[in-house]
Amino acid sequence: MNSTRRTVATTALSAFLFAALAAAPARAQDLIAVKGGRVHTMHGPVLENATVLIENGRITKIGPVADIEVPWEAKVLDATGKVVLPTWVLAHSQGGARGANERMENVAFVKISDALDPASPFFEDCLRSGIGTVHSIPGNMTLLGGSGIVVRPFGRTVEDMAVSTQSGLKLSLQPQGGGRLLQIRKLRRALEDAREYLADFDRRKAEFEQEQKSGAIDKDKKWTEEWDRTKKPVLDLLQKKTRGWLYVPGSAEVPEAMRLQTELDLVLVLGPQVHRAVDLLKAAKHPVVLDETLEFFETDPETRKETKIRVAKLLADAGIPFALSLGQSGPTSYPWWQLAACVRQGIDASTAYAALTTVPAELLGLQDQLATLEVGKLGNLQIVTGDPMQATTWVETVVLEGQLVYERSKDQRLKYLLDTSSTGAAASGSK
Amino acid sequence: MLRVATTVALFAASAFAQDLPVVYRGATVWPGDRAPITDAVLVIQNGRVQTVGGASTTIPDGARIVECNGLVITPGLIDAAWDGSVAEADGNEQSTEITPALRVLDSLDPQNPALARARNSGVTAVHLMPGTRSVMGGLSVVLQTWASDPAAMVLRDEASLRLVLGAEPSMGNRAIRGGNVDSIYYRRPTSRMGVIWSARRAFFDAKEQIAETQGGTKTTRTTQEQRDLSVLTRVLQGSLPLVTTARSEQDLRTALRLADEFGYTPVIDEAQDAYLVLDELQKARVWVMVGAPSASAVGGSAGQDGAEPRFATLKHLQDRGIPFVITTGSNTNATELVREAMFAHRFGLGRQQALAAVTSQPAKLLGLAERKGRLEAGMDADFVVWSTDPFDPASTPTTVVINGNDTTSKQ
Repeated sequence: MNSTRRTVATTALSAFLFAALAAAPARAQDLIAVKGGRVHTMHGPVLENATVLIENGRITKIGPVADIEVPWEAKVLDATGKVVLPTWVLAHSQGGARGANERMENVAFVKISDALDPASPFFEDCLRSGIGTVHSIPGNMTLLGGSGIVVRPFGRTVEDMAVSTQSGLKLSLQPQGGGRLLQIRKLRRALEDAREYLADFDRRKAEFEQEQKSGAIDKDKKWTEEWDRTKKPVLDLLQKKTRGWLYVPGSAEVPEAMRLQTELDLVLVLGPQVHRAVDLLKAAKHPVVLDETLEFFETDPETRKETKIRVAKLLADAGIPFALSLGQSGPTSYPWWQLAACVRQGIDASTAYAALTTVPAELLGLQDQLATLEVGKLGNLQIVTGDPMQATTWVETVVLEGQLVYERSKDQRLKYLLDTSSTGAAASGSK
Repeated sequence: MLRVATTVALFAASAFAQDLPVVYRGATVWPGDRAPITDAVLVIQNGRVQTVGGASTTIPDGARIVECNGLVITPGLIDAAWDGSVAEADGNEQSTEITPALRVLDSLDPQNPALARARNSGVTAVHLMPGTRSVMGGLSVVLQTWASDPAAMVLRDEASLRLVLGAEPSMGNRAIRGGNVDSIYYRRPTSRMGVIWSARRAFFDAKEQIAETQGGTKTTRTTQEQRDLSVLTRVLQGSLPLVTTARSEQDLRTALRLADEFGYTPVIDEAQDAYLVLDELQKARVWVMVGAPSASAVGGSAGQDGAEPRFATLKHLQDRGIPFVITTGSNTNATELVREAMFAHRFGLGRQQALAAVTSQPAKLLGLAERKGRLEAGMDADFVVWSTDPFDPASTPTTVVINGNDTTSKQ
């Protein structure tokens, strides 16, 4: 591991004790200039015909083409007629993990980083879709499910990919073989056990110190008992040293989730059917993470009349900031589709963009590093062929931390799927 | 019997339609089979299109004018393989694998919310087939997604027979190995081979029946056998289309082989691997239905039943001049039909072709070309007013008109 990678970012990362690894990547292009594009900085107005200069993995200049001198040694990426955006940030994902749920329930000590497969097609697809940051965290089929990691979808090992190694702990109110209330009870019980352990530990330590003071124990003797490793992540959660990501499957679990949020530092990861609890969610401390299903039908049991429920719109109208999730396959796995779904529901484009940039970055405590194109931030950007919310737009180029990591012209798998030459070779002769 | 009722009802419906002309003015009209008309004037009266033209088109006296500036109008979309089971109906008869005489119409619930859902997404007509768990599940029906009277919804009864190839009809089945036959899953077939043999055997029986009829001999058969065979006979004689669901390359080849063997022209459905058998499809002069282009993915396999869908399939079909339609089909991940056409456009199919594949082309395939699928004088006034370009993923239908009736507020 390159030493610069360890050092640079630590100070900038926010207060959530993330052990930051993010900084300039090992083999970054020293200088990249993205020139001539329409730049959505996600921070202030859209810049027409602008240049973004990335030096040693960070953005050093941004402004009109005429005002920015591009050093002769820079690698120039021509974005004329194209659109430049920050790469997307996923707030909550199980993509690329082999087995995202441990079948035992109370497993706060496991880590998703041990299950990540850097060679997974998921990460390849991320680059193809312009996703530059993924918060990978254990799935919802759990109680206390283990720790997450923030990665960039590029690299041969998890260490290479790591952006922030301690993103928080997964908790879930999704019933596991029992009812809703049983799940709540189990979670309460698990937290209470950890609290008791914590109190007991502190008591024993205080007694030890007391006895040492009174001379009953040798003065040179040291307190050697360590924290129980299987419990440590929960203890950190209880002491608000780490953030919890609580899955809330439906409206019915929202009240309990809100109560838990008064005790712990929790981000609420919502299931699809939370529309009946929107009023309660207004009091949420942090922005919420939405389910990949942004709209669905609800049937009135009496009249059988169907109503389309537009969850994102309901939250936006209530003034609750949210981050978007992506599905595993099909249309919802495309960021442009999810963004357009928001706009279709009547949400303004800037709120939609924020749900895949600034809001998730804030939830991850990486708002100083990611999500907007500003001087000083990581050089993470994508160049797309046109309006980012149109189906006919493709991601052309992805730059992560100043490193050119994706070019559509070299995407062999995409070429293969879109190819009209091989099996269609005889097509030219047809009518 | 039902046909008579249908005709009467349709007649009645048009009598109720508004007599004054209605003019939709200022929209961009995509007629369904040719280039768009900007700032168009669309005149409808008595449930039909009177005229479609540019801004200079004469507006009839006394017409009610609907301003549509900035909006886009397309013909009502037609889903040639619509899965009506989304709500509650189960389209799979499981008592036996070959049930050609069953009619989907008999299980149709006109209040099925799935119909309203389809309509509200811009679909004005659907082809509803039996499910994919039987080898030959029965006869399909073509419906309008709204009519003043449920009987009037039927556009074509007994529109096609469905044959499903591949492993799906055998899934979950168990062979009888002694003991009690206490489950419906004790039935043939249990393999891909078995599925195809079931189909073949049914056709052998039908051929035998035809030969017997011609030779004057008679075998005693039960009513059900007679009914089943008469349906198959219609397929062999070319008077009933056989929709053959075949996804993977091997099943596509089998579909064409069976057709060749028994001398009928099939319609190929869910042809995910069509790009691998282009020569054969072209030679057989068949129609091809492609389900849910959106479900294809770059990473991992999005194919059903062993197929490996590729983005370029529709473009290949277009380049070869093979007639095709885009459907939502049996893929549970399929999204609204207009979005499926949008994905086809994303993957390289021209706009007009993509729109035609959900309007004029399915109308032709389903035998409705004289009435539906295009916007021109004399056609049924079935159309959709979109908030913006329908291939913009943020577009929504603002008005859906069927036979001249604005169905937007109707349940």
